[in-house]
Amino acid sequence: MSNLAVLPIIIPLIAGIILAFFPKKLALVRTLTKVFIIGNLAVAGFSAWHVFNHGSIILETGDWAAPYGIIIVADQLSVLLVLTTNIMAAACAFYAPYSLPDRKERYYFYTFFFFLITGVSGAFLTGDIFNLFVFFEVLLMASYALIVLGGDKVQLRESVKYVFINLFSSMLFVTAVGFLYGTVGTVNMAQIAQRVQEVDQQGILTAIGILLFFVFAVKAALFPLYYWMPKSYAVPNPVISALFGALLTKVGIYSIIRVFSLIFIHRIDLTHEVFIWIAGLSMIFGVIGALSTNNIKLIIAYNIIPAIGFILWGIGVFNQEAVSGAIYYLIHDMIIKASLFLLVGTIAYAAGTSDLRKFSGLIHYYPFLGWLLFVSGFVLAGIPPFSGFIGKLLLLKGSLADEKVAVVIIALLSSLLILYSIMKIFIRGFWGEKDDTFEPKPVKGRTAPVVALLALSVFLGIGAEFIYPSVESISRYLLDPANYINAVLEG
Amino acid sequence: MYKPNDLIFRTTTSLIAFILLGFSIYLLLAGHNSPGGGFIGGLMTSAAIILMYMAYGSDILRKILPVNYRMLIPTGLLIAAGTGIGSFLFQQPFLSHTYNHFHLPVFGDLELATAMLFDFGVYFTVLGVTVTIILSIAEDR
Amino acid sequence: MNNFLSLTHIIVEIATVICLAAISVSFILLLFRIVSGPTNADRAVALDSMGMNMMGIAALMAILIPTTKLNDVILLIGILLFIGTLAVAKYLEKGVIIDRNLD
Repeated sequence: MSNLAVLPIIIPLIAGIILAFFPKKLALVRTLTKVFIIGNLAVAGFSAWHVFNHGSIILETGDWAAPYGIIIVADQLSVLLVLTTNIMAAACAFYAPYSLPDRKERYYFYTFFFFLITGVSGAFLTGDIFNLFVFFEVLLMASYALIVLGGDKVQLRESVKYVFINLFSSMLFVTAVGFLYGTVGTVNMAQIAQRVQEVDQQGILTAIGILLFFVFAVKAALFPLYYWMPKSYAVPNPVISALFGALLTKVGIYSIIRVFSLIFIHRIDLTHEVFIWIAGLSMIFGVIGALSTNNIKLIIAYNIIPAIGFILWGIGVFNQEAVSGAIYYLIHDMIIKASLFLLVGTIAYAAGTSDLRKFSGLIHYYPFLGWLLFVSGFVLAGIPPFSGFIGKLLLLKGSLADEKVAVVIIALLSSLLILYSIMKIFIRGFWGEKDDTFEPKPVKGRTAPVVALLALSVFLGIGAEFIYPSVESISRYLLDPANYINAVLEG
Repeated sequence: MYKPNDLIFRTTTSLIAFILLGFSIYLLLAGHNSPGGGFIGGLMTSAAIILMYMAYGSDILRKILPVNYRMLIPTGLLIAAGTGIGSFLFQQPFLSHTYNHFHLPVFGDLELATAMLFDFGVYFTVLGVTVTIILSIAEDR
Repeated sequence: MNNFLSLTHIIVEIATVICLAAISVSFILLLFRIVSGPTNADRAVALDSMGMNMMGIAALMAILIPTTKLNDVILLIGILLFIGTLAVAKYLEKGVIIDRNLD
């Protein structure tokens, strides 16, 4: 069953190609999209089940042996993330017909949507650092197309920034891969990890590591490099924002987790110490950004930055509990960010504007939306018993065990402010003066995917007992690179 | 309206376009072990088509070659992806390719590889993409 | 006989290198013409000759290496050059490259 590993990449690719044949027949396209995304979800679920029960799946494409050919590695972390990706992609696929104008759907929206999933799944599953670059390009190409979809003026202005910053970081990425290849003579991640331990000039490897971190930090929107992100994520349609916010930055942070737990672990005192400080600064600046604006979409977009900070914090502390916390938080954040973007898109549609100063008293017309926002604010900020709490608790325990107190204080404070930034939408938009001239619009179809995602997210918190053992086994697996190396090179 | 004297241009085009098409097929089939392949073959074919567009204008060309170039892109992608998936049928890992020697009546002993099918996919994709891009820029009114 | 062959070999090599140098000089002059060229027609002609020089370089490299695989490349450059020059010429003359209807 070794081909199982590649199916989550292949199915969206084929789906995207097939849907490109008849972009104009919207009814057919929508039905097929749902069929394909549910099928892909089932396959991803099955492969996750398979990996958790029978160990990692290694696929040597084209039957070329491991260090020479391209390999696809489906280990526990990868399949868990692929499964989460597919869950939120399914929610977006069900939300899209309500949110996108028909005109935009005809511009091959679903094709690019599936190509984006292909790129993201590929980036999670690949075991080869050059192919990581290739899949990054696949998902970036799809995202360039999605961000300009429809060609509104404000979209074009923001997408120029987006395209330039990503082209620049892709250029640095391929340069860094070139340096790495020049130094260790391979692009297979397992073999790189093996050789990094043997090379005597470790200074140059640290430099390459920092360069790669810079690249991934641009994609993940970490502290000094986040300036391009919030606006360009807030301007497109809510579905596209949800896809970007929940997937693209997470691919960046996944690459950091993978590369800095497997390859560059020879100078933990230098690299990982820096991560903690960058994580703390990301939390502070992200929260300040979220508090500074009155645009509800921008508030959510800014909230991505502290979340990425929390995950990086776990990598920085780099012990069993902190890494478990980071992975738990990563999965929690993918789901809750998608749900929040969709929810806020719904609210902006219902209110007719995304400016918080221009609407109030929505609770009289949409009580359900209001309480959904209330709950997701709690989930995001990590109020017990919701899922954010479990991740943060693990992170706290891990870093207190390492006596890193300063970052703990920053994290707790910024959690409080995150809660405030979401509650600000609730207080100003849903409470307050009732506007009697207001005409409510039907939002039923739009709330269903949000409710599904939110329910899953609540389950992640309440049902933590079911999920925690697998997360713990992932972090144990990540902390010992020998596991990965042996699985790939000897399996 | 200003009318250029295109006689030489049109006469040579009818000759050169077919040389180009033949050369592009040669490049497509020469690939795999020597310079050439699907990408450059597709570029050459699209060059021939663009040359004809320049000589005869888009209205006439649409009558002569009623091809929807946009449809060629997913067709090519499907062929290219299909060669990867084809290996599933033979219980081989994804993207496995194979080759064999065949005796054909006219060509004699010939080495045929499944990688050539992948090249055909690339050929159609590149042809579709290039012609679509150039025509949509040129016909922007 | 052997002596004679090696002598011609050396002559061919020297001649190739001299030709390469000459073509490089002409490249620089053509670059100057492309930048400064008083009219667009000058620039088009300069670009065309630059492409010819490129074909020449490919041919000389084929002699130096020596290989026959570059022959396709030379043909390819020639064809792309032809189409490019045609497009520029048509643009200069008419302002449109692909017209809707010529009749």
